[in-house]
Amino acid sequence: MEEKILLNILHEAQDKHGYLSEEVLKKISKKHQIPISRLYGIITFHTMFRVKKQGKHILELCGSPSCLLNGAREIERFIEKELNVEIGETTKDKKFSVYKTSCIGCCDGAPAMLIDGKPYVNLTIKRIKEILKELKNASTKRN
Amino acid sequence: MQVLRETNLQGLALAKKLGKKGTLELLAKRGLVGRGGASFPTHKKWERALSVKTNERFLICNADEGEPGTFKDKFLIKNNSETLIEGILIAAFVLDAKRCFIYLRAEYDSLRLELEKIIKKVLKKSKMKVSIEIVRGAGAYVCGEETAIIQSIMGRRGQPMEKPPYPTIKGLWGKPTVLNNVTTLTCVPQALLYEDWNPNYRLFSISGEVEHPGVYEWELGVKMSTILGTVKPKGKMKAMSFGCFGGIMPVYKSNRVSPALICDKNCHHGAYSLIFVGEKKNIVDVNLSMAKFYTYESCGKCTPCREGTIRLVELLKKIKSGQATNKDLKLLKELANHIQETSLCGLGASCGNHILTGMKNFKKDYKGFIKKK
Repeated sequence: MEEKILLNILHEAQDKHGYLSEEVLKKISKKHQIPISRLYGIITFHTMFRVKKQGKHILELCGSPSCLLNGAREIERFIEKELNVEIGETTKDKKFSVYKTSCIGCCDGAPAMLIDGKPYVNLTIKRIKEILKELKNASTKRN
Repeated sequence: MQVLRETNLQGLALAKKLGKKGTLELLAKRGLVGRGGASFPTHKKWERALSVKTNERFLICNADEGEPGTFKDKFLIKNNSETLIEGILIAAFVLDAKRCFIYLRAEYDSLRLELEKIIKKVLKKSKMKVSIEIVRGAGAYVCGEETAIIQSIMGRRGQPMEKPPYPTIKGLWGKPTVLNNVTTLTCVPQALLYEDWNPNYRLFSISGEVEHPGVYEWELGVKMSTILGTVKPKGKMKAMSFGCFGGIMPVYKSNRVSPALICDKNCHHGAYSLIFVGEKKNIVDVNLSMAKFYTYESCGKCTPCREGTIRLVELLKKIKSGQATNKDLKLLKELANHIQETSLCGLGASCGNHILTGMKNFKKDYKGFIKKK
């Protein structure tokens, strides 16, 4: 049988559980006969694997030159203030985790960000207010 | 756009009719070179892998388009993925590769499900017994480097390896492996099929301070005035940067965008990602944001890049604070050169380019911050 790609195994586990907990990694380690230290080595090498519980929504703000030239810093400051977090943190109500990322390839829609992997482009303060409101409302309803 | 022409598996049919040798000859005749930035002739890369006697060869389609300001591959995956898959199948046919991979960067994960559908559809139509797997990247710029991508697919940290051996000789699981960019593979069936196919067309990713950013197709040597007239700068433009790695140079309206002109300014065109910077911006600021990108993306394997990129940021911050002297400028230049000369892979070898070209082409911006004695 063909060897299964480790990156895909880790992604599938993260999609299912939201993050890669020690418990999940132990299972992967056992099933695929890969030492857990090697798994951590790979996970911590990449920015998009998470080993801690995340907020309901993950915001990844693009910090590429194209976005910076089009006002990404203002967007970043506004989100930090609005959600009362710093980059790399999760909000107290556990609804949002906010990260900064390298170029997401949306330079023609700068400034841009990913929310749960989906691109949001041509961001303005007004648009972000709307997006955050929608996300907050949606998660309140589901809860 | 030439690159959006559909080929409906006719390119594959032609390749099968011509046979492996005939296909390679036709690709050579048409003049197809790699579109990832290095412009290596595609047929030569394939021939190198074929020169190794083996029971297995692999093909990797590099869709880990991480260079800031580049989004042409995303554009093609969205708009002409059937032709891309056909290109992969032609390569698989020529190379006798049974297992092919598309290394898709995590930032493009929203395109994955649709791409999987297209793969199934084209594979079914082609009736070829080949597997095309999507490998999901996880956010590491360095994994776009060919040896790093191979490490990553094999389940290791995506750190570059020393070359030679080149992947075409010894790649995935020790077997000859061909790596081609998304755009290159999309061009393969088009180049084979259409006699009027022009090898000099390139996709340009245009962004920055312009009214109409986007992906455009122009012939090499296109006039700067044509580009500016199309993308409409927001005010007077001061500079254009070729992604992060290619360096930064002034915008001359009268010039043509060709490899010769760009190299003349010590820049590198790479994948033709042009980021336009307006006249109000200071190049030291732009360089600082790019330098931060490299500290973040350095894989940490070799010392010059791991430590040097951090020191570059420190020096640029010092310059910006107005505390630096001419001695610091000299040190910055020396350090950037040193990192480029002594790093293992392309990331380190190009990480100081934006600073060196920034210092050379925009002296005033740097001098403006220097402490007067």
